[in-house]
Amino acid sequence: MTHKLAITTAVLALLLSGCGQVAPDLDGKNNVSNSSQIAGETVSIDENNMYGNESGLGGGHNSSSDGFRSVYFAFGDYGIASSMEANMNTNIKVATSTSARIKIEGNCDEFGTDEYNYALGLKRAKAVKDSLIAQGVGSSQTIIVSFGESNPACSGTSESCYDQNRRVDIRLVK
Amino acid sequence: MKQLLFILLSFNFLASNLFGVDATLKIEKDVEQRTRIALVDASATQTSKIFDILLSDLKISGHFLADATHHTGDFASNYVLPALKSKEYILKYVFSQASGTKLVVRLLKASDGTQVFKKSYAIPGKSKMPFLAHKAISDINNVLKYPDISWLNRYVVYAVYTAPRRSEIRLADYTFNYQKTIIKGGLNLFPKWADVKQRAIYYTSYRETLPTLYKLNIYNGSKQKIISSEGMLVCSDVSKDGSKLLLTMAPSAQADIYELNLASKSKTRVTKFKGIDVNGRYIDDESRIVFVSNRLGYANVFKKSIRSAATSQVVYHGRNNNACDASKDKIVYASRESNNAFGDNTFNLYVTASNGSDTRPITTTGSNQFPRFSADGSVVLFLKQRGGSTSIGYTNLTSYQSLLFPFNGSKVQSIDW
Repeated sequence: MTHKLAITTAVLALLLSGCGQVAPDLDGKNNVSNSSQIAGETVSIDENNMYGNESGLGGGHNSSSDGFRSVYFAFGDYGIASSMEANMNTNIKVATSTSARIKIEGNCDEFGTDEYNYALGLKRAKAVKDSLIAQGVGSSQTIIVSFGESNPACSGTSESCYDQNRRVDIRLVK
Repeated sequence: MKQLLFILLSFNFLASNLFGVDATLKIEKDVEQRTRIALVDASATQTSKIFDILLSDLKISGHFLADATHHTGDFASNYVLPALKSKEYILKYVFSQASGTKLVVRLLKASDGTQVFKKSYAIPGKSKMPFLAHKAISDINNVLKYPDISWLNRYVVYAVYTAPRRSEIRLADYTFNYQKTIIKGGLNLFPKWADVKQRAIYYTSYRETLPTLYKLNIYNGSKQKIISSEGMLVCSDVSKDGSKLLLTMAPSAQADIYELNLASKSKTRVTKFKGIDVNGRYIDDESRIVFVSNRLGYANVFKKSIRSAATSQVVYHGRNNNACDASKDKIVYASRESNNAFGDNTFNLYVTASNGSDTRPITTTGSNQFPRFSADGSVVLFLKQRGGSTSIGYTNLTSYQSLLFPFNGSKVQSIDW
């Protein structure tokens, strides 16, 4: 009886010996040195002196300059509304009376992704450009750019603020 | 003897069947099966910051059910508090910032105090402390042979507007406890990781007359000009082998998606619609893309082969689906759900398969934007705005665990993970 018990116990011990194994570690590797996020030092680049002073960052309901009038758009739109006809008439008058280069800047409110908004701002700027060209302004006289959400005329989060930011500004290139 | 043989054979039968079943089990943990674990702080000076980060790591991994109590105890012994014996594991740690930053961890079985893992992490500085915590938890996860969570260790790169026409590009850990500006001054936007190892980024600079795409090594500062474009220029995706880029360019003031082969410099125009096509992302085997287009009169998500014209709609709900990301055959997108721009339920995020099936929401309130998959596609990062405050959110798509971290300060322009 004792002999059988001893054998049984030994067999059981053998079978169950795998259950108490210590989980393997990482072989003592120094993981800190393998992790570039922790070990490596990243750059710090300062471009503050590489940009000139840019004009035309005025607020209010006309952030254009040089006699031009800003053109405003409804949410998501890039067609020129009939309510903007008077502003466009002023812009055509100013544009056709100068030989200076004209910069047309598209802008958006902050809704949605900036990538979509840069494209939307560009469509708005192009709509204004096409309207000027249709009235005799030379295409090569105009430069078109989109600032997406980066150039708000108003920094609040109200509807009237968003209205002010969905716009195209026009100014002469100096 | 016959009795012994019978016992042996019985055990053999049971053992082989048990291991046979185990071998086919996937070790993905549902809520009930998450490993119960408690943290025990054995530091000379207890601080909540490291505890909170370790706890967040355990939670968002999807593999642990972590005790939120900040227990304290000794480090060296295998003693386990009686109240913690119901857990599966105890993670003892010592954290010190007396000289640089040091974190030492011991993982013990709660039942009998057996040590399973011990590791020491140290760096000379203090600012990168969160990365020590992330490394410790991802190592423990690996030791326990759970599915990989190495995304915990990765940088987030993002751009913020600091003033009109001024921005900064910054790095952060996923909790945003670590933040560092790598480019300041000027207008530098749309940073995008150039490689899986996160050694370089692409970004768009507005310093020159035309928007210009650069590749920057974030460790040695070497910069390479890639391409310029009138109108706008964004690198929206990079192929897995880094050889091709998806770009949004507007050479004739018309924004479209192009694929650029970096070696040959050849460009393939992928979209030709006269409206807005942006936000291209590779899907499936990278022969196709998903992208955002307003070809139906409002922003929505579409799918297209790079080499053929056929385009199909992916999303059939929402008023304005203007952002998307993709990981293999999964797509996540932001959908505007209310008329009112100022309502509580403005933009929500959905995950769907690339064939548009299995669509489910992953957020339900607030304005949720900038969805980004982790490198392995298991977790989604997003930005949530609600009630005047902003948070960085993460949702684990397998465990449905979500976490929010406060995000204070400047307006995020774009983000990549």
